Amino acid sequence: MNETLVIDIRNLSVALPPGADRPFAIEDVSFALLPQEVLCIVGESGSGKSLTSQAIMGLLPGPEVHIASGSIHFEGRDLATLEDREMQALRGARIAMIFQEPMTALNPVMRVGDQITEMFRFHGRAHEAADRVVELLGAVGLPDPASIKDAYPFRLSGGQRQRVMIAMALALDPAVLIADEPTTALDVMTQKQILALIKDLQRERHTSCLFITHDFGVVAEIADRVGVMQSGKLVEIGPAREILEQPQHPYTRRLIAAVPRLEPPDRAPLSDRKTIVEVKGVDKTYASRGGWLKRRPVHAVKDASFSVRSGETLAIVGQSGSGKSTLARCMVRLVDADAGSMTLAGAEGDLLRMSKSRFHRHRPLVQMVFQDPYASLNPRHRVGDIIAKGMLAQGHPRDAAAARVKSLLELVQLDASAAERFPHEFSGGQRQRIGIARALALEPKLLVADEPVSALDVSIQAQVLELLAEIQQRLDLAVLFITHDLRVAAQIADTVAVMHQGEIVEHGPARRIFLEPQHEYTRALIAAIPGRAWLAPSDRIARQEATS
Amino acid sequence: MKDFWAIYRRNKGSIIGLVILVVVLIVALAGPLLMPGDPWEIKARPLLPPSTTFLMGTDVLGRDVLAGVVHGAQVSLLIGLVSTLVAVTLGLLLGAFAGYFGGPVDDIVVRITEFVQTIPSFILAMVLVAVLGPSIGSIVISIAVVTWPPVCRLVRAEFMSLVQREFVEAAVVSGQRTANIIFREILPNALSPIIVMASLMVATAILTESALSFMGLGDPNRISWGYMIGAARSALRQAWWISVFPGAAIFLTVLAINLVGEGLNDALNPRLARRGRV
Repeated sequence: MNETLVIDIRNLSVALPPGADRPFAIEDVSFALLPQEVLCIVGESGSGKSLTSQAIMGLLPGPEVHIASGSIHFEGRDLATLEDREMQALRGARIAMIFQEPMTALNPVMRVGDQITEMFRFHGRAHEAADRVVELLGAVGLPDPASIKDAYPFRLSGGQRQRVMIAMALALDPAVLIADEPTTALDVMTQKQILALIKDLQRERHTSCLFITHDFGVVAEIADRVGVMQSGKLVEIGPAREILEQPQHPYTRRLIAAVPRLEPPDRAPLSDRKTIVEVKGVDKTYASRGGWLKRRPVHAVKDASFSVRSGETLAIVGQSGSGKSTLARCMVRLVDADAGSMTLAGAEGDLLRMSKSRFHRHRPLVQMVFQDPYASLNPRHRVGDIIAKGMLAQGHPRDAAAARVKSLLELVQLDASAAERFPHEFSGGQRQRIGIARALALEPKLLVADEPVSALDVSIQAQVLELLAEIQQRLDLAVLFITHDLRVAAQIADTVAVMHQGEIVEHGPARRIFLEPQHEYTRALIAAIPGRAWLAPSDRIARQEATS
Repeated sequence: MKDFWAIYRRNKGSIIGLVILVVVLIVALAGPLLMPGDPWEIKARPLLPPSTTFLMGTDVLGRDVLAGVVHGAQVSLLIGLVSTLVAVTLGLLLGAFAGYFGGPVDDIVVRITEFVQTIPSFILAMVLVAVLGPSIGSIVISIAVVTWPPVCRLVRAEFMSLVQREFVEAAVVSGQRTANIIFREILPNALSPIIVMASLMVATAILTESALSFMGLGDPNRISWGYMIGAARSALRQAWWISVFPGAAIFLTVLAINLVGEGLNDALNPRLARRGRV
C-alpha cells in the first residue's frame, strides 16, 4: 500500500441483486484519493457514483447489494472487510459525509447545536463539544452562531442547513470528506456560496474531499482531479484541466458536448411574426398557511406582463420561489389569477377571466408539459390512452384519435408500439417525449413547459431540448419555457424574462440578457452559474477545436 | 397478473387461506345439495354427541349441527360480502370527493366520519338492528353504517396525496371532466390499499354478524353460526359440540380471509411487503 494515498481503491466491484439490469453496480473500479485534493466523480444517474461513496462509508443498502471483490484501503486498513463496530468508529470521525437533501438530513425535533454535540459524544469526545460547536458554526459562515446553536432546523433556509451539515461533517476533523451532490437541491446562488465554502474549508483543514456530482459546471468550479463513471465503470480519470479541456474517452466527450453553452446562438429576429399570446398584469397572492394568528399572504406573482409570438420561445428564469411556476399554472388555469388578462390568437375574450366552462372550449389552445416525467404520466394507463385522453374529452372520434396518437409518437421519435405499453417501461427521457406528445395532441398554439428537462440527465436533456426546438419550428408554436437553469435558457430561448420575488425584473432578447445584463439581480444570477469561466464562449471554441 | 400471482404465492399462509376460503365458498354454494332440507327441522333426540349418522351431533332441540354449519356458511359469507361492498362503496365515494375537492366538502365529510367513529360501533350496530327489526337487510345496513368511516379516511388520504401528482394536473389541462379524473385517473391508483382493507373488513363483518346473532339479533328465518353458538350457551357444559363446530367454522373462515388479505397486501404493495420482511 502506498503511504501517500488517503484512500486507495483497487478493483472494487459491488454486486447487485439477481434480476437487476446489470450484475454489478460498480465493476472493477480503481482510483485513489490524494492528500488535500478535491476529487470529483462525475456520471449520469445509474452510473454507480453514489454507490461508490456508500461503499467507502460501509453504507451499501442491504445484504443484496454488497462488495463482491476488491479493496478500499484507508489509514492502513481495508474498509471492505471491516467489522460494523470498527466502521462506526471511523464514520464521522475519520471519514465524514454530506448528503444531497439538507431538508431531511437534519433531525427536525432537535436543536442544531445538540446535533453537532452528538457527533462529539458518539466518538467519546463530549468534553470538547462545549467549546467547539459555536466555533464550528462560525467557521461555516453562519451569522450569529451563538443563537443559531439553539435554533431548530425548520428555522433555517436550505443553504443554512447545508452549512450546518458541513459543520457536523467537519466537527471531528476527518481526514476525508465525502460530499454526495451536496448542492443539487440548492438554488444557483446558494450553490455558489456552498461550493466556495467547501473548497475553503477543505484547504484550511487539509482535508481530502471526494465530491460526487452530475454537473460539469460544478466540476469546473471545485475539482482538482476528475473521474468519469459510466454504467459502473470508471472510464477516465485525471487532472481537472485535462479532462475538461481535452477529454480522451468518447463518453466524456459526449457528456461535455451536451453541457449547454452559455452564449445564446444568434437567432433570426421574430419581430415580423404574429403575436400569439398577450399577457397583462397577472397577479397572484396565496393566503399562506401558518399558525392560526399569523397568516401571512404570499405575493407569488406581481403584475407580470409579456407576449409571445408564433415560433418564439420565451424562457422565464428564476430561483425556486420566484413565482415562475405559479405564473405558468395561471396560464393553463390550474391556478386562478387574482388579476390580469390573457388574450390568445384564435380565442375570443380574456382567457383568465372567462368562466371555467367557456375556458373548457379553449383548453386545446394552451397545453402544458410537466416537470417530473415519473409523476406526470398515470402509471395505470397505457401510453396510447394517455395521449388520446384529451382528444376524447374534446369529443374527437376514437379511431381518429388513435390515428393521431400514431403520428404524434412518430413526431416525438418513439416507436408506434409504444402506444400499447405502460409508462414504467420507459426511461425518463422517453417519458418526457410522451408528455410532449400528449401536450401536442390537441394542436395547441401556446405550449407551456414547466421545467421539462430539469429531472433529466444532461445528455438526455440535450436530446429533449433539440426535439422541442424541432417541433416548435415545424408547428410554429409559441413556447413559454419555465426553468431555473440559465444554461438551458441560453440554449433554447429567443427571449428571456428574469423573475425575482414574483416580479419580472428584466425582459429582453436572450443574447442581450446573457451578454449585457442590465438588472443587478440578473447579473448576480449569471455570475452564480457554476463553471462559468469554463463555459465562457472563447474557451468553448478553443476546446471544441481541440476535441474535434 | 403473472407477477401478482408470483408474489402472492411466496407467502405460504395466504395459499392455505385461499384453499380454506374456496372450501367454505363451495360449502356455502352447494349447501342445499349437500344437506337437503330445512336446517331448523328436528332430526333426532336432542344433545346427541357426534357419531357416524350425525357427524357433528345434534343441538338442544335435536337439530343436526352439521346442517346448521353448512347452511350458516351462506348467511355468514353473504352478510360479510354484501355489507363490505356497501361500506366500501359508501366510504369510497365520500372519501374520494372529500380528498379531491378539499375545502368545505372535506370538512363536512370529516365531521360525519368523526361523528360515526365516536359512537362505539358494536353498540350502534345493535341499536340499528333493534330499530330496523332483525333481518338480513337490516344487519347488512347496520354493519355497513358502522364500518365505512375507516374506508373513507383511507380513500381520502390516498386521494389527497394523488391529487397533487402531475398526471392529475395533466388530466385537468387536457380538458377531462371531473368525474372522469376522479374515477378513471385517480381511483385505479388508490385501489390496492382499498382492496386489502376490504378483504379484512369481510372478516370483521362476519364476526360482527356472529356477535349480533349471538345476542339474538340475527335474522330469525336464517340459521347462522353466531345464532348457533348463542343457542348453545345453556348446554355449554353438557354438549361441547353444539358451540365448538360453528365456532371453529367462524374461526377458520375469518383466519382464511385474513391470510388472503395479507397475501393481497404483499402482491398489491410489493415494495412495502419486501421492506417489512427483509
